[in-house]
Amino acid sequence: MATLPHDDIYQLVREPIDMAALARHVRAPEDGAIVTFDGFVRNQSHNRTTLYLDYEGYESMALAKMREIGAQLHEKYRIHRVAMAHRLGRLEIGETSVFIAVSAPHRAAAFDACRFAIDTLKRTVPIWKKEYFADGAVWADGELPAAPSATPRAKPAS
Amino acid sequence: MLLAPSRTAGYNPRVPPVSQTIRVKVLFFGRLKELAGHAEDSAEFHEATTIEQLFALYAARLPELAKYRSSVVASRNQEFAAWDTPLRTGDEVAFLPPVSGG
Repeated sequence: MATLPHDDIYQLVREPIDMAALARHVRAPEDGAIVTFDGFVRNQSHNRTTLYLDYEGYESMALAKMREIGAQLHEKYRIHRVAMAHRLGRLEIGETSVFIAVSAPHRAAAFDACRFAIDTLKRTVPIWKKEYFADGAVWADGELPAAPSATPRAKPAS
Repeated sequence: MLLAPSRTAGYNPRVPPVSQTIRVKVLFFGRLKELAGHAEDSAEFHEATTIEQLFALYAARLPELAKYRSSVVASRNQEFAAWDTPLRTGDEVAFLPPVSGG
């Protein structure tokens, strides 16, 4: 796997995400664009009023998967820096759960990379949310990450 | 929890025989954690065991867990892993429900 530039940021936090600081971090004189994604807690789910969400993560693996996404971004797109943060614990309506900022010399790469980053995060990063309603709580529907279907067979010696 | 050597584990030619004890850490997340009743466990085996067989041992005692088998993905040492992956001592195995971050 490609090594990540040292000036990227990948983090899991339990306090509010400082979006301005992350966006500022990816901004550099050689860039011309920053695209950010701010995912926050919606007040309803499947026509039920949401009270709050509780996020949990497999933290060591989640961070590793976030860094993997970052490495893919740098391989696939002409971008400069990435900042990616996910919050864990209890989040109230309107609070940011995930924030991604991507800087690039030109906007198209930043848009594409930011979109790829959030879509891939939602499919592969081991984080779960439980939705709390007035009359109960449920684990949110999610996506089952793709895993190898079988371990590679040893090749016979030739 | 100390799991007895698996009697359901049939001979698997892809898994080399072992004579040493295999100790692994087992993690459950999301609804699986609630079903298992704990987030973390350790398991010990005296014969070659795969991730599938490890899950089957828990599922045998927790029928609710068995129902989720088709919507669980496993990881070994923080990497998504195939169900037929053989366990090695010191491994960290996790059973993960569909992810819903973001």
